[in-house]
Amino acid sequence: MELTPDILKKLIKSAQMAADHEIGCNECFDELHEFAEMELAGKSPEEAKPLIKDHLDKCSSCREEYQALLEALRTIESDN
Amino acid sequence: MFNWFKKHRKEKSSYETNEEWVEALKPPVDERAVALLRQKLIRGLKPALHKYVDRELDQFVEDVAQDALLKVLDNIDSFRGDSKLLTWAMKIAVREGLTELRLKRYDDISIEDLKPDDDSREVFSLSMASSETSPDRSLHESKLVDKVMTIINEELTDKQKQAINALMIQRLPGPVVVKQMDTNRNALYKLVHDARLKIKNKLELEGIDPDEMLDQL
Ligand SMILES: [Zn+2]
Repeated sequence: MELTPDILKKLIKSAQMAADHEIGCNECFDELHEFAEMELAGKSPEEAKPLIKDHLDKCSSCREEYQALLEALRTIESDN
Repeated sequence: MFNWFKKHRKEKSSYETNEEWVEALKPPVDERAVALLRQKLIRGLKPALHKYVDRELDQFVEDVAQDALLKVLDNIDSFRGDSKLLTWAMKIAVREGLTELRLKRYDDISIEDLKPDDDSREVFSLSMASSETSPDRSLHESKLVDKVMTIINEELTDKQKQAINALMIQRLPGPVVVKQMDTNRNALYKLVHDARLKIKNKLELEGIDPDEMLDQL
C-alpha cells in the first residue's frame, strides 16, 4: 500500500479544513429538520446554522440523508 | 352523549397545527392521525429513496414508514415544535430508510473480511519506506510525504491511524469502517475530526503552509 500524491493531497486538504469546533452526526441530525425547512422556505440556513452546513459539507452520510429529506419534503409540499 | 362527542371530536381527518398532531399522536393515539402520517411518509419516501432501491420499492418504503412511525410515537415527547411535525417525522423516516439500505448494501461483507490486517497500524511507516524508493517520485515530493507520515505516526492514536487508513487510503465506505472498527458514525466522525485537527495544528506549529504543500504536489 502506498501513499500516493492524490491521497496525500486529500489528507492535507481535509486537515486544512478542520475547524476547532465541528459538530458530529448526532448534533447534525438533531437540527436537520429545522435546517431543511429553512432551506425550503429560502431562508439561508447556512447563515443561521453554519455548523450544520459545515458538517453537511464534510460528512457524506449526513449529506445523503439531507438530500433525500429535501426530496421527500418537496414531494409532500407539492401535494398541498 | 359526552363520550360520543369526545370520540368524534378526536377523530379528525386533517391536522393543521403541530399541537393537533402532537395531541393526536400522544396516547391514547388517534389511529386516523397515524394512518394519515403513514400515508404522507410513504408519499415522501418513495421519490427520496427510489434511486437506492432496485426492486420492491413499495414494500420497502411501507416497512420503513412503519418502523419510523413507531419511533415517532415513542419520541413524540421530544418533538420541540421547531419545525412542522411532518418535517421532523420525515427526517426520522429518511434516516430509518437510508440506514436500512446501508446495512443491506454491506450485508454480504462479513466481519471477518473487515478485520484489519495485523500490519494495518504500520501502514504509515510502510508507506514512508516505499515512498523513498519509488522511482517516479521526486525527491521533494518524497520529503513532503515523509513529513506528513512523521506527523501521522507521532501525533495520531492507533485508532485514528486505523480510521484514516481505512477511509482515505483504502477508501472504504464510512458504514464499512464503522462496522470494522465496531463503533458508530458519530464517534467515527469525531475521531477523524480530532485527527485532522492534530495534523493541521502540527503543520502550523512547524511553520508549514498547507497551501504551499498542495502546490508542490
Ligand atoms: Zn455526519
